[in-house]
Amino acid sequence: MVKFTADELRAIMDLKHNIRNMSVIAHVDHGKSTLTDSLVAAAGIIAQEVAGDVRMTDTRQDEAERGITIKSTGISLYYEMSDGDLKNFKGEREGNKYLINLIDSPGHVDFSSEVTAALRITDGALVVVDCVEGVCVQTETVLRQALGERIKPVLTVNKMDRCFLELQLDPEEAYLTIQRVIESANVIMATYEDPLLGDVQVYPEKGTVAFSAGLHGWAFTLTNFAKMYASKFGVDESKMMERLWGENFFDPITKKWTTKNTGSATCKRGFVQFCYDPIKQIIELCMTDQKDKLWPMLQKLKVNLKSEEKELTGKALMKRVMQSWLPASSALLEMMIFHLPSPSKAQKYRVDNLYEGPLDDPYASAIRNCDPEGPLMLYVSKMIPASDKGRFYAFGRVFSGKVSTGTKVRIMGPNYIPGEKKDLYVKSVQRTVIWMGKKQETVEDVPCGNTVAMVGLDQFITKNATLTNEKEIDAHPIRAMKFSVSPVVSVAVTCKVASEIPKLVDGLKRLAKSDPMVVCTISETGEHIVAAAGELHLEICLKDLQDDFMNGAEISISDPIVSFRETVLEKSSHIVMSKSPNRHNRLYMEARPMEEGLAQAIDDGRIGLRDDPKNRTKILSEEFSWDKDLTRKIWCFGPETTGPNMVVDTCKGVQYLNEIKDSVVTGFQSASKQGPMAGESMRGVCFEICDVVLHSDAIHRGGGQITPTARRVCYAAMLTAKPRLLEPVYLVEIQAPEHALGGIYSVLNQRRGHVVEAIQRPNTPLYNVKAHLPVIESFKFNEALRAQTGGQAFPQLVFDHWDLVPSDPLEPGTPAAARVIDIRRKKGLKEQITPLTDFEDKL
Amino acid sequence: MDFESNYDIAATSDFIRTHNFTRVALQFPDDLLKDSTRVVAVLRKRLQSLRESDITVSGEETEIGLYVMADTAYGSCCVDEVGASHINADCVIHYGHTCFSPTTALPAFFVFGKASIGIADCVESMSQYALTNSKPIMVLFGLEYAHSTQQIRKELLESSTCKSDLKSEVHFADVPSPYMFPSKDMKKLSGIQEEACGCGNNSSSDEANGIIYNIGGLTWKLPEGQSMEDYSLFWIGQDNSAFANVVLTFNACEIVRYDATKNQMVTDLSQQRRILKRRYYLVERAKDANIVGILVGTLGVAGYLHIINQMMELITAAGKKAYTLVMGKPNPAKLANFPECDVFLYVSCAQTALLDSKEYLAPVITPFEATIAFNRGSQWTGAYVMGFGDLINLPQVQAGNQEEARFSFIRGGYVEDFENQAENVEEEREDLALANATEKALQLRDNCNTLIKGDAKSGAEFFANRTYQGLNMPEENTTPQPFVTGRKGRAAVYEDENNKH
Repeated sequence: MVKFTADELRAIMDLKHNIRNMSVIAHVDHGKSTLTDSLVAAAGIIAQEVAGDVRMTDTRQDEAERGITIKSTGISLYYEMSDGDLKNFKGEREGNKYLINLIDSPGHVDFSSEVTAALRITDGALVVVDCVEGVCVQTETVLRQALGERIKPVLTVNKMDRCFLELQLDPEEAYLTIQRVIESANVIMATYEDPLLGDVQVYPEKGTVAFSAGLHGWAFTLTNFAKMYASKFGVDESKMMERLWGENFFDPITKKWTTKNTGSATCKRGFVQFCYDPIKQIIELCMTDQKDKLWPMLQKLKVNLKSEEKELTGKALMKRVMQSWLPASSALLEMMIFHLPSPSKAQKYRVDNLYEGPLDDPYASAIRNCDPEGPLMLYVSKMIPASDKGRFYAFGRVFSGKVSTGTKVRIMGPNYIPGEKKDLYVKSVQRTVIWMGKKQETVEDVPCGNTVAMVGLDQFITKNATLTNEKEIDAHPIRAMKFSVSPVVSVAVTCKVASEIPKLVDGLKRLAKSDPMVVCTISETGEHIVAAAGELHLEICLKDLQDDFMNGAEISISDPIVSFRETVLEKSSHIVMSKSPNRHNRLYMEARPMEEGLAQAIDDGRIGLRDDPKNRTKILSEEFSWDKDLTRKIWCFGPETTGPNMVVDTCKGVQYLNEIKDSVVTGFQSASKQGPMAGESMRGVCFEICDVVLHSDAIHRGGGQITPTARRVCYAAMLTAKPRLLEPVYLVEIQAPEHALGGIYSVLNQRRGHVVEAIQRPNTPLYNVKAHLPVIESFKFNEALRAQTGGQAFPQLVFDHWDLVPSDPLEPGTPAAARVIDIRRKKGLKEQITPLTDFEDKL
Repeated sequence: MDFESNYDIAATSDFIRTHNFTRVALQFPDDLLKDSTRVVAVLRKRLQSLRESDITVSGEETEIGLYVMADTAYGSCCVDEVGASHINADCVIHYGHTCFSPTTALPAFFVFGKASIGIADCVESMSQYALTNSKPIMVLFGLEYAHSTQQIRKELLESSTCKSDLKSEVHFADVPSPYMFPSKDMKKLSGIQEEACGCGNNSSSDEANGIIYNIGGLTWKLPEGQSMEDYSLFWIGQDNSAFANVVLTFNACEIVRYDATKNQMVTDLSQQRRILKRRYYLVERAKDANIVGILVGTLGVAGYLHIINQMMELITAAGKKAYTLVMGKPNPAKLANFPECDVFLYVSCAQTALLDSKEYLAPVITPFEATIAFNRGSQWTGAYVMGFGDLINLPQVQAGNQEEARFSFIRGGYVEDFENQAENVEEEREDLALANATEKALQLRDNCNTLIKGDAKSGAEFFANRTYQGLNMPEENTTPQPFVTGRKGRAAVYEDENNKH
């Protein structure tokens, strides 16, 4: 029985102060989806009894099978507060009805692009942390991402039931554990000081931390207990809340509050005395079926059970009792409503982050004011496969204006440049839809501040886009999302029957759309490449491709392809020279490795050609001790004009040099894209032009002569500078009990991995192991680890850095040389590296 | 093998004689040029004797002029009609490897040459192959081996009768007739070619039922209801462009090659198979191009003008800019002179059309690939066509569905070529155009002076982005400069230069 209808929902959508858009984020397996279930149960979509078991937001079959979330799923909840509950609410509101647009996101690192997409369209985040495992890598990653997007977090310490049942912790110990969890979360948040967003740290005594047990469907904040005790102690709620956390102790015998433990046996911390102990007591009573003691207690707590519920025993009884006493939904929803911003509040400060155009134009102010009458600004953050195969809903958030069925919208793609017509379409929205878990409801229009799914735009949006009204031609797009992971693992796919290529092409198109991170491209050898963030991600993508997007055509999948980089170790042994095809021009060049960290700085976009040259000079001379004059002589970066290699002009007094710059740049771009050894991109190579001899007739030093020569001389310079391969390396984070460590070490050793640190989590038997592992060795790592540790270790792999392959690829027989041959064979090149003599000319 | 038979002197002179040609151009590829004088001498002698024996018919016949042409501007496999018309020739005798592309204006006679072949060994390999293969075999061959096919066929027949356990039948392609007359009538040309591509219906000229295939001079006929996929191909000859052509066109067939110089079978053709995939990649690259350079690599092959026009229309319709360049024997250095082109479209005969090397800065594609790349809605299916005739008659793909934006596999997302959006901008009135342009010019841009290849929409736009714009015009002193004497000598060292380059 659904408690609310689409019409009711639509009505609240107009009340922009009563909307909360929030995402649930956490490390994998900390209980996001389970917790979400109990919230959904409150909205009446699923039965209270099965809440915690259904995982409403795991809509896909494989999600259910694996027990992990893969796609983020949106769900709109309707919640009505009582006046009493709201009397302490200071913010603006219109009535007691609230709409909560909630997005459940995956916790596995391979799918963190889904989290990014979810964060973009929400204003608040419920950070879920396992009270035993604490803050993990992915918690940290997503939290940083959230703060980067100016998303306000609230915290819930989840799996409290483990404290009571599994670990049987001493109350004081439990308090310390929980406090440590909250502190470590606050440490991360404290680094993001943002005057506009305000203090983002969470405090239990302010009600921004909840304690929950998703599986059993109960949760509380200190507010709940403060309300209960405030009248009893005759103090106001906020005062009471402060006493319930931190260094406040109460002795029931003296009935006095102290800030230190008096040492008396009955003196206990406020939290323990008033929150932890009562819960513990009730749980114990339930589990041991001491119903005679239980009923009077429940009576006192004003918990009424139905008669058939009273028949339950053990865990079932405990679950029911706790759900009635401290329902998770009310505690969490109240926390969200009280402490997370409404769209109108959030967009005031988010606009700076969101809008690319000038912040004083009508579009920026419409976003800032969350103006339903303003021009439409809508960001599509992901595409959701629709039930009819091959079509997609465009899912996003309306930041200003209204989107309605039939609206003609301007679609500004990620490559759109204002004023130009590239990557720009005008199309009409066929239908606007709101999402309610597993089903959708069509609505007439959706006003700003809400999430929306649209039909009819999927053939023009690959992954994300900004939509605005047809007439708003001077609107700038909303800034593109920045992902924390990048696609590093790829495979080549071919169809088993050659004539089915069109089906494959079509399938890949759809795959590219269905996931914000997956990249479908084609290799130089004409093979279709699917690249994803990790092995699991890739596996899911290929499964989707084969089962859903290909109409049954069979595909064969190659072994994983890992891309390498080419770099140099030293300065060229001598200055190399290449002559142009007509032998009338000579280029002299040297290659040298870039200073450490410079390639990274270019990758991060700190240094680039588009920057202010003064800024570039400053960074280069101060951080990398470059000569100031030299910094002005950087000709270009490459490949693709932004890559981590460059050409610097160091020659003096050469005639016509400015004429050949463009040709040299073109030659360098192509050389840096395909290095001389394995045809992989270069990284961290700085080419210095030492001297140039040019023919005096312009016709004999044209692009045709210089461009191929520039490429050859780059190759020659590189081959004389001790060229090396770089391989991608993962940072692996594993959490496992102590006795599993041996297995972890042995698996890592077999795969050239090495441990960076291994720390025991205080108060737990768990160890946190960080290690580096070459990507090429990482395939089937997960399985091997599981086998070696009896399934107790669960790794998270994130691309970390490029590592030098130590052996010399030019020397036959070394591992690097074998690798080069392997790559060259795959690319259909001659197995032998083209010798230096082909690139370098004699005078 | 003796000289006269190798150069087919008898047949050549008969051909000249019977058609009463008076000015004959002899076209030699570079590697045969050394024999040209001897060929001319022998041929002249032969013609002389023919004339004497035939004196009764016409007494006052003019001397037949024989001209040797060397160093063709385009591929040496094509008949160099332009070169021949310089001397007003009325026929061309073509020596050496040929692609058998139809000529536009001049009749041509082809002398393939006769390469030696170990017939016994070849037959042995062939029957070996036939034993292991269940499909019928079609034997194709390089034209230099055309002379020995009769014999191979005979010997194969003999060996098969004694063994009589050959599982599959062996068919041979017909030896082409060595002469060709221009078919100015486009219709007739297309009639022939239509059959050749195998997709056309059998026209009236074709009496028996069946499909006639025609590639690189070889023709053969399949019974109705059969397609090339039902056959295995057996190629006798070198791994040259003619073979590559066969592999690409019949990429669905199983193909083996018998190398007559090494007397061995080559069954591993993965390298050739790669070519097709690579072409596929180039097509995808071409889809992203904004500026297309049409390289005219032939002035002889029939239908080349038609193709160029067709390509121009295609490119313009796809919203791209086309420039036409006439260029003989393109190489990376020549093409690098046109950095503004994102892709080159090489219009030439079927066997020189495949230019691919990592050296090229921009991909070079064939007209067939261009039709796939620039035609919305057409898809790469694996079928491949090389000749012009086939292309002209390629079934026109309907305008394609404009419903969907184009997905680029190079960039991994939807991209839109801006002309396709014409419907969206039609409201933009002419009088606003100037205002828009100004607005655009006044917009604050990143200070970016790099060339990003593929962003420019036309050559002019590309050049505007270059850092070097050419010499600056002097602002003052616009009076004409006095004459100066130019330089003399070779580009390597002019006479007024004495630096030792």
